[in-house]
Amino acid sequence: MAEFTVDCLGEACPVPLMKVQKQMEKAAVGDVVIAQIDHSCAMKNIPEWARNNGHNVEIEEVDDGEWEIVIEKTN
Amino acid sequence: MKAFWDKVSKNPYYIKIFKNPFTYVTGAVLLSIFQIAIFASTGSPWGVSGTFANWGAWLYRLVGGNVDKWYYFSSEGAQATLNNGILNHTGSWLNFGIIAGALLATLLASQFKFKKIKSLKQVVAAVLGGLLMGYGARLAGGCNIGALYSSIASLSLSGWVFAFFLFIGAFIGSKLLAKFFM
Repeated sequence: MAEFTVDCLGEACPVPLMKVQKQMEKAAVGDVVIAQIDHSCAMKNIPEWARNNGHNVEIEEVDDGEWEIVIEKTN
Repeated sequence: MKAFWDKVSKNPYYIKIFKNPFTYVTGAVLLSIFQIAIFASTGSPWGVSGTFANWGAWLYRLVGGNVDKWYYFSSEGAQATLNNGILNHTGSWLNFGIIAGALLATLLASQFKFKKIKSLKQVVAAVLGGLLMGYGARLAGGCNIGALYSSIASLSLSGWVFAFFLFIGAFIGSKLLAKFFM
């Protein structure tokens, strides 16, 4: 159960989503990938992509305009 | 006072309207309604990037430049628009509205943030991309609003032609992005 953090702060779409997809490929089932984002579009497209692929997703607002998207790889 | 704001931030209507992003469908419906309103009230379809060329011309005039002989501004209509000034230009007010509205929306959602610049590469790509988009939009006679959105909404074939080449450009752009930014 490894945990990976993907730093996407200061990155605009679609870079955060592409970075998360790359990290999710490397992760094993049960691993958790945490994406740090400050781009509100990424708050929509990353969870949408992850949920469409059947992963568990949680969004935490860590600060004004800053979020952590926690994705658990399920398949 | 703090108790009041804490209460507001937990209010379900506040969360629904100001905090959480609208769905794509809600956004699309609102955009459609407002672009019809713009067409009905101003008499021309919604556009964004044409205004930037005028802003450039006004800035150039401010520092003593002259665009009277430029082909792009040579028509009587274009000259009249420039001579009437920015405060009498509908497109400028629409764009001011976008900027002010975006700021207001992010403040209301309590999501305002100064983002740090990650690398020089990011700056170069942003400046190059902005110049290419602006230049391309003027060559094409519109951007993805004027030449795509408003054209298709006006049942013009040119909007679909624009869309086809926009997808080609976006495809090449995303390949370049993956190559240089991943």
